[in-house]
Amino acid sequence: MVFCQLGGGCELPLISIPPDLTFIVLAAVTIIGSIMALQAKELIYGAVALAVSFIGIAGFFVFLDAPYLAMLQIAIYVGAIVVLILFTIMLVRREATDELTDRPERGEGAVGVWLAGLIAVAISGVAALAGPNLPAEPQPASLPISDLGPTLALQYPIPLIILALLMSAALLGAMALAKLEK
Amino acid sequence: MLGIGLYGLSVKKNAIRILFAIEIIVNAANLNFAAFTRYMNPPQVSGQVIVFYSIAAAAMEAAVGLALILVAFRLNSTIDVRRLNKLKG
Amino acid sequence: MVGFPPTPAEILALIIAIVTSHQFITIVVFPGFIHLLLVVAFLTWYERKVLARIQLRIGPLYAGPGGILQPLADGVKLIFKEIMIPYKADRPLFLGVPLMLALLAALPFAVIPFGQNWVIANLDVGIVFVFAAASLFPSMILLFAWASNSKYPFLGGLRSLFQQVGYEIPMWISTLSVVMLAGSLNLVDIVNAQSRIWFIIPAFLSFIVFFIAAMAELERLPFDLPTAEPELVAGWVTESSGAIFMLIFMGLYMKLYLMSALVTVLFLGGWWGPAFLPQPVWFIIKTLIVATFIIIPRGVYPRIRVDMLIKLGWTRLLIIALANVFLTILLLSSGVLSAWGWL
Repeated sequence: MVFCQLGGGCELPLISIPPDLTFIVLAAVTIIGSIMALQAKELIYGAVALAVSFIGIAGFFVFLDAPYLAMLQIAIYVGAIVVLILFTIMLVRREATDELTDRPERGEGAVGVWLAGLIAVAISGVAALAGPNLPAEPQPASLPISDLGPTLALQYPIPLIILALLMSAALLGAMALAKLEK
Repeated sequence: MLGIGLYGLSVKKNAIRILFAIEIIVNAANLNFAAFTRYMNPPQVSGQVIVFYSIAAAAMEAAVGLALILVAFRLNSTIDVRRLNKLKG
Repeated sequence: MVGFPPTPAEILALIIAIVTSHQFITIVVFPGFIHLLLVVAFLTWYERKVLARIQLRIGPLYAGPGGILQPLADGVKLIFKEIMIPYKADRPLFLGVPLMLALLAALPFAVIPFGQNWVIANLDVGIVFVFAAASLFPSMILLFAWASNSKYPFLGGLRSLFQQVGYEIPMWISTLSVVMLAGSLNLVDIVNAQSRIWFIIPAFLSFIVFFIAAMAELERLPFDLPTAEPELVAGWVTESSGAIFMLIFMGLYMKLYLMSALVTVLFLGGWWGPAFLPQPVWFIIKTLIVATFIIIPRGVYPRIRVDMLIKLGWTRLLIIALANVFLTILLLSSGVLSAWGWL
């Protein structure tokens, strides 16, 4: 089936990669990608870094026994959204983006760092408190993909319909916005 | 990743980078959900449903957001959010 | 496995074990790397011959018997050409994207089964993997067009973007019918489910939609807008030269092979055929027939207009694909196919 499992690492021909290594590599790719997405000099490099970060997240999904979600993530996020972002960047003319120095002004950098630090502390606190309840080893069972469809349709039909309505609304909204500037 | 996204959200003035930051935050949340469905006993599939939903919702929100940025640019010739602070005119 | 430091005899044994292992053979030789390069080279020659015959010419004739070494000559020439990077072009993107494009076109071959055991990675989500990889193409093309930093390639890139993204959806929906008939996203299962009847018969409309959408994805005539030869010089590949063009060219032909292989797997029964030929051979024969039918319209039809293109993709093809999905639902639920022992 899929090469990389959470419990047992990656199996390539005759080589086996321990799961910790895959986790570290994936985490590095994702985090470095997201940092570069925000800090890159040119917007387009940032968009590419964002795409790399998304691919890292897709790798995580595979690692967590959700290969279907991983493929969806790549197809939708990297395939469609990154394309939209690139497209928008290219239509917003260069003069507007070049002059911006994104270096934080006086108070803003501190606010950002405080927010990030606060969240980090909060999450670690919650994790530490809930520590004894977390299962130490990941469960060996994996979810068959055919579970996703019936669950979506039978157990959660209302969110599905709401999603469809939301999509139509988004589509109409985007079209209306496009007409607005004419 | 949540921290990174929040930092970007509050600091960056380029509207598109703010969108990047939003997407990063959403992805962090998705990752969280996926991880938790895997670690629960027995593994639920509803976590994956949530992630599926979240990917779709984020896609739509990004599309509309980008359309907004485009329109704002056409009207104001800038995407610096410090200057996009007039509601009318 | 081996002691340390490994003796030469042990190294030799290890290398032999790796080279003859099934995984190595599938990855590198067939249906992997070497096979892919050979087929891509063959396809360039094949296309030029087919087009030439349609246009009442002969085609490549001088390089080797019947011109069969022509791709080799082309490759050598392209490698030796100077790579010109346009003024103020984006260097890392300009050089890196064609490489990524070629790699990306080769990637989905990892899941396409050429025979019962001839598949590199039998993913349970095989078909979605192919489409995920396919959805990355438009962004690569857009990046490359942008990196060329001049008007005409950029316009060509935008057109290509519209075209490819627009035709992805009919492709996905037509695949939905096939997946419903087979009951699995696994490509090997899909082919196995066609052991009695090829899916082209119950899903005929889907076949048509997929075929047309594939032609649009490959930017072949009559969907030739992005590289419209008489119009935009050469569209988004204008600024590429030498090895860069070779990479893009290889990427395009790998995509052609990929789409033909997909049509074969989804609709034409993969490797099922009378047993006097081994399975992969049947697969390649069918794929070549499909590729021929993709190549022929290039010499026959005129180019399609932009608005017709978009209307075709988003309205007509979509509706036909959806109609086929409903038809499939009807067929499956009424049990017609299983009653006739076909499923």
